[in-house]
Amino acid sequence: MNNEPHIASAFDRDLEGVQALVLKMGGLVEAALADAADALESRDDALAERVRSGDAAIDALEEQVNTECIRLIATRAPTASDLRVVMTVMKIASALERSGDYAKNLAKRSIVLAQMRSIEGAAGAIRRMSRQVGLMLKDALDAFITRDVELAQSVRQQDKDIDQMYAGLFREFLTHMMEDPRNITACMHLHFIAKNIERVGDHATTIAEQVIYLATGAFPADPRPKADSVIAGDR
Amino acid sequence: MKDLRLERDVQTTVNKIEARKVQVYYGTNHALKDVDVDILDKTVTAFIGPSGCGKSTFLRCLNRMNDTVASARVEGSITLEGENIYDPRVDPVQLRAKIGMVFQKPNPFPKSIYDNVAYGPKIHGLTRNKAELDEVVESCLRKAALWNEVKDRLASPGTGLSGGQQQRLCIARAIATSPEVLLMDEPCSALDPIATAQVEELIDELRSQFSVVIVTHSMQQAARVSQKTAFFHLGHLVEYGETGTIFTNPIDPRTESYITGRIG
Repeated sequence: MNNEPHIASAFDRDLEGVQALVLKMGGLVEAALADAADALESRDDALAERVRSGDAAIDALEEQVNTECIRLIATRAPTASDLRVVMTVMKIASALERSGDYAKNLAKRSIVLAQMRSIEGAAGAIRRMSRQVGLMLKDALDAFITRDVELAQSVRQQDKDIDQMYAGLFREFLTHMMEDPRNITACMHLHFIAKNIERVGDHATTIAEQVIYLATGAFPADPRPKADSVIAGDR
Repeated sequence: MKDLRLERDVQTTVNKIEARKVQVYYGTNHALKDVDVDILDKTVTAFIGPSGCGKSTFLRCLNRMNDTVASARVEGSITLEGENIYDPRVDPVQLRAKIGMVFQKPNPFPKSIYDNVAYGPKIHGLTRNKAELDEVVESCLRKAALWNEVKDRLASPGTGLSGGQQQRLCIARAIATSPEVLLMDEPCSALDPIATAQVEELIDELRSQFSVVIVTHSMQQAARVSQKTAFFHLGHLVEYGETGTIFTNPIDPRTESYITGRIG
């Protein structure tokens, strides 16, 4: 990577500006995910409601990132690593916006679940999974800040653990539903939550791959590490 | 829809010009050091680099324009289709009919539009009669996308045209001798964006018949018109490769610094 400043210092300020926006987004998404999982476990409707309404700020930031990036492309015609910064920032912003939506969805479902009898151990397992995914997001964004290819590679590896956690929860919820049909509504909500957190893990992996592209100019050649799927025969 | 990859594909692997270990000295100043380059036929090759990096010097070696500079000394070998252009038996005037040149500032002769284009074919005896000459003039002006604008005033002076038209007239003049290679030294730096776009469109069309080498200070122009790009810095050829690669993922950090606006 090239750390020399541009001759036109305003170009540096523009590039730093869009990167700061995306990091601000990342901070909001990490917090939303952690808060939503806490709200689920502690049945805290007020906290869930705050996560829900907080998503608008994340969406607004994504729009701002896109507007700034388009302006930057039009006015500065970035090339090589500068161009990769702009493209990466846009893709990361889009991945974060989706992740924010999943956190919001978790919060919405936690409000519904708070009205039902709890499924033993489920909320704790969801919180552990979301904390794990939160760490992946943090690592991916740290890798983005420092252009750390190794850290980004490790994020790709961590996604396998998330897939395994999801597969475990899938089986667990299935068991609960078979034991007592009255668990079905709650377990369906919990399953969607687990699946959505697993998807946030995929978005963190996408961010990590973008970081590798940003730092090296090429996407990782090896396929994403995959854990056993919950779909029978899909191995 | 046409496949984008075909559009920008270089259809040939035939080398038109091969330069090996080219050194240029102006007096004691070593201006160009160890330049090895293969210029492909029917391809636009762009030379980029900061002022004084040697790109124009190298361009001028390709048609022996440096012969006219008393203190200049050229070493190494440059061949056009395998023939050494610095061979003592080569007549530089004949060579320049094969390797045409267009300069930064439009420089039409103080003659009529017609005579500007007809001059080369006349002195090289490329046509047998007036009808043939008329034909050459018309076809060159058409190729230079100027015919429709000047066909009714071929007898008026070339210097009376607008800057963009003058430059296209100079291109028509350069291609009138049916050259094999067209050298362009910042052909658009004195033109407005419309005229620039017209000249760039023309360069893209000329590529089907000639090998075009263009020196430009506009990185975006190099990116737009060329298929191959060479980056010169302090007399060295730093990097030479496919234009898309040079502008998205250059190998040498100096290339990266230059195209992203970090060194001047």
